[in-house]
Amino acid sequence: MTRLAGHRDLLAQVLDTLVPPSGGFPGAAAVALDHVLTVAGGSAALEALLARGLQAIEDDARAAGGFGRVDTDGRERILQTVERSHPEFFEALVRHVYDGYYAHPTIVERLGLDPTPLHPRGHRLDVTEPPDLTRVAARGPLYRRA
Amino acid sequence: MPADDRTDVLVIGAGAAGAAVAWRLASAGIGVVCLEQGDWVDARAYPHWGVDWELHRQTDWCAQPNVRRLSQDYPVNDAASPIAPLMYNAVGGSTIHWSAHFPRFRPSDFRVRSLDGVADDWPIDYATLEPYFDLNDRMMGVAGVIGDPAYPPKSPRQTPPIPLDTLGATMVRGFERLGWHWWPSDSAILTRDYDGRRACNNCGPCDLGCPTGAKASTDVTYWPKALAAGARLLTRCRVREITLGPGALADGAIYYDREGRECRQKARAVVLAANGIGTPRLLLTSRSPRFPDGLANENGLVGRHLMFHPYALVRGLFDRPLGGHRGPIGCAIISQEFYETELSRGFVRGYSFQVSRGLSPIASAHGGLVGDRVPWGREHRRAYADRFDRTITVAIIGEDLPEAGNRVELDPALTDDSGIPAPRVTYTLSENSRRMLDHGIARAREALEAAGASGVAVNPLLRAGGWHLMGTARMGRDPASSVIDAEGRCHDVPNLYVVDGSTMVTCAGVNPTSTIQAVALYIADGIIRRRA
Repeated sequence: MTRLAGHRDLLAQVLDTLVPPSGGFPGAAAVALDHVLTVAGGSAALEALLARGLQAIEDDARAAGGFGRVDTDGRERILQTVERSHPEFFEALVRHVYDGYYAHPTIVERLGLDPTPLHPRGHRLDVTEPPDLTRVAARGPLYRRA
Repeated sequence: MPADDRTDVLVIGAGAAGAAVAWRLASAGIGVVCLEQGDWVDARAYPHWGVDWELHRQTDWCAQPNVRRLSQDYPVNDAASPIAPLMYNAVGGSTIHWSAHFPRFRPSDFRVRSLDGVADDWPIDYATLEPYFDLNDRMMGVAGVIGDPAYPPKSPRQTPPIPLDTLGATMVRGFERLGWHWWPSDSAILTRDYDGRRACNNCGPCDLGCPTGAKASTDVTYWPKALAAGARLLTRCRVREITLGPGALADGAIYYDREGRECRQKARAVVLAANGIGTPRLLLTSRSPRFPDGLANENGLVGRHLMFHPYALVRGLFDRPLGGHRGPIGCAIISQEFYETELSRGFVRGYSFQVSRGLSPIASAHGGLVGDRVPWGREHRRAYADRFDRTITVAIIGEDLPEAGNRVELDPALTDDSGIPAPRVTYTLSENSRRMLDHGIARAREALEAAGASGVAVNPLLRAGGWHLMGTARMGRDPASSVIDAEGRCHDVPNLYVVDGSTMVTCAGVNPTSTIQAVALYIADGIIRRRA
């Protein structure tokens, strides 16, 4: 995680631009930052890719005094620019941010789902009565005899 | 090189077909040794036990071996294919992470040349396989309901069908309004306890394995019975080549065991059950002065006629929650309204619709199999909320016709961890398949809108959709145009059998596992008859 350590604050700001806090849901920095850092820590190639992309964001924001000093419109514009100039980085970043965000129990619960492991609890279904197949069955054989 | 005693039959591969054959032969008193390059999967190791279960779908439980990259996997060069092959290497094979759709082929699927003038007829027919379909249903355990007019009458299903739930009931309204065929899917997933296995708890992601044992992976269906009948199963044993003995007969295989030692297993007959890519790969690596281009490949057809089922997907957006995260992920409804040939549609043969469950939280963000990711930025939460739990995906599974140019070869450079050449896949989607999928996309849109969808998103060809690997050692009566005969024996090597998806002459417009296993049981009975 050493290559990203110097970018941690910037990464958090980027995450909150990708998925901002909204409607009672936390932003991505609060729940997905650790996941992104952990995944990057397990892959030197991904870590290098993210570091290069974050550097590009930093470079783009330098004239404005840094990403953290830019308003929301400006942040989105910078990320749109980097999305075009560094598509591989951006694809990986968004993928891992969404993964970390929507895997987090806080978010799962906010979505109205049970955040505990699926097994052994399973799910209770709402509609369990047998379907009415009368019309279809009455059509008679639909297959060709061969 | 450690050498085991000679066995009657060596089975290579412990998946859907290998397990069925091993059980049938062992039950008849035939000595069976099975070599499997994967291992047993501990049900306690499935991702469902953790809160981060969905993350595993993209890493160690990804269906693509090139992504998963476990030590028991082999890489597949799929750069020349728009469809990526999927598989799993373990006891149970790809049934570990299949969705357990269990439709059979229909009678016309075995008579494509006679009825429609394309491809080739099978040398066997539906009536021949019918008792094996029934036997296999009993072994696997099928949830469903009889009376489907799309099929000849079937024997009673082992358990009631998987409930439609809110999502399925919503989609039924669309099919009913259009007057189209639909039916609860035959699924190899128990809805009641059966044969010592427990019923499904509707947890959802069958593609990550089944911790309940309700889904019929062959590690919980055939294998316990095969082992009880005396079959021996050796895991983490990777076969390098099939060996030839006197008279150009197969006499066993050389393999690497879990310690990487080179070993030999002798046998009086060899059965290949390594899937539609692994089987031709192994035949092609088994070169000898007698078969310099690969075993049983005198006519050059080993690896040719690769068929996938090309999938297109149409996802409808609805204005209310559908509970799509509940219930078996792949199975709810099948529609075969456009299954048989109607040339006015612009293509020959046909397709099925499969209505699967909804998307889980991460899959929703990434757009599921349609792949249209929810946008990032200030609109993200609203866009996500509009989509989450409000979608139904209809998959179009089309019949792919066999083309000689679609094939599996050995890659000249890529190997697995043991140094065995990896397969290279070359595949082009045919114009017939493209027109078929386009027709299906338009009709699926119609059905979704009839069900109340306010809009749809389309994936015209699913790349990560190579679940079904077929046709690469095809069955036929003519040795010039096929690799195996009507009883599964290689024309060139009569004690070498193929029983997996490689055998398929044509691939129908439905999932193939039920038919693969029925064919495997039929071939096993031929082995038993000849031995008697």
